[in-house]
Amino acid sequence: MRLFADVLLILGLLFILAGVLGVLRLPDFYTRLHAMGKCDTLGVTFVLLALAIYAGASLVTVKVLLISLVISLANPVATHALGRAAMKSGLAPWFDPKPKSGEVRKEN
Amino acid sequence: MKILLFGAATTLALAMLLSLYRVLQGPTAFDRLTGLGLIGTKTVVLLIVLGFLTGRVDIFVDITLSYTLISVIGSLILAKYFEQKEREDL
Repeated sequence: MRLFADVLLILGLLFILAGVLGVLRLPDFYTRLHAMGKCDTLGVTFVLLALAIYAGASLVTVKVLLISLVISLANPVATHALGRAAMKSGLAPWFDPKPKSGEVRKEN
Repeated sequence: MKILLFGAATTLALAMLLSLYRVLQGPTAFDRLTGLGLIGTKTVVLLIVLGFLTGRVDIFVDITLSYTLISVIGSLILAKYFEQKEREDL
């Protein structure tokens, strides 16, 4: 069980680092939101599950699982609200300025 | 376990520092809000890890529970606020 928790913790930290890397490096707000919404939710949920296993069977475990549930429900909602707000306020999505040959580019 | 938790706290602090770059540098207000959301969720995890490191998890977990609600509701309210603004000052 301890080994499982260790693997879960390291996996969650890798997901969090991937999300941060995506937010830093991707070219556009919507792509950055894509990186943030999925990687961050999954990574934080994994790390919190690992910490709940570390805590053993106590009230702390229940509270950590409750925090994990709240984050895994509310983080996608916040991400969706941000993307919707950006779309409604007229922020245009990013297109590749030099698309590869053979690729049909959709103009809007 | 102590070393692993210490490494986790260091990694989380590093990730928060890296996402602070997006808050300071982001071209639009929504990029800054994305960075703020990242920092908020990482703070939640970092608080529980710090509770395990100091041995007072039972206190830190209560603080984290309230911080989670404040962070998420604040992010939602900021998104709603910027949704109502017009496009002039993006």
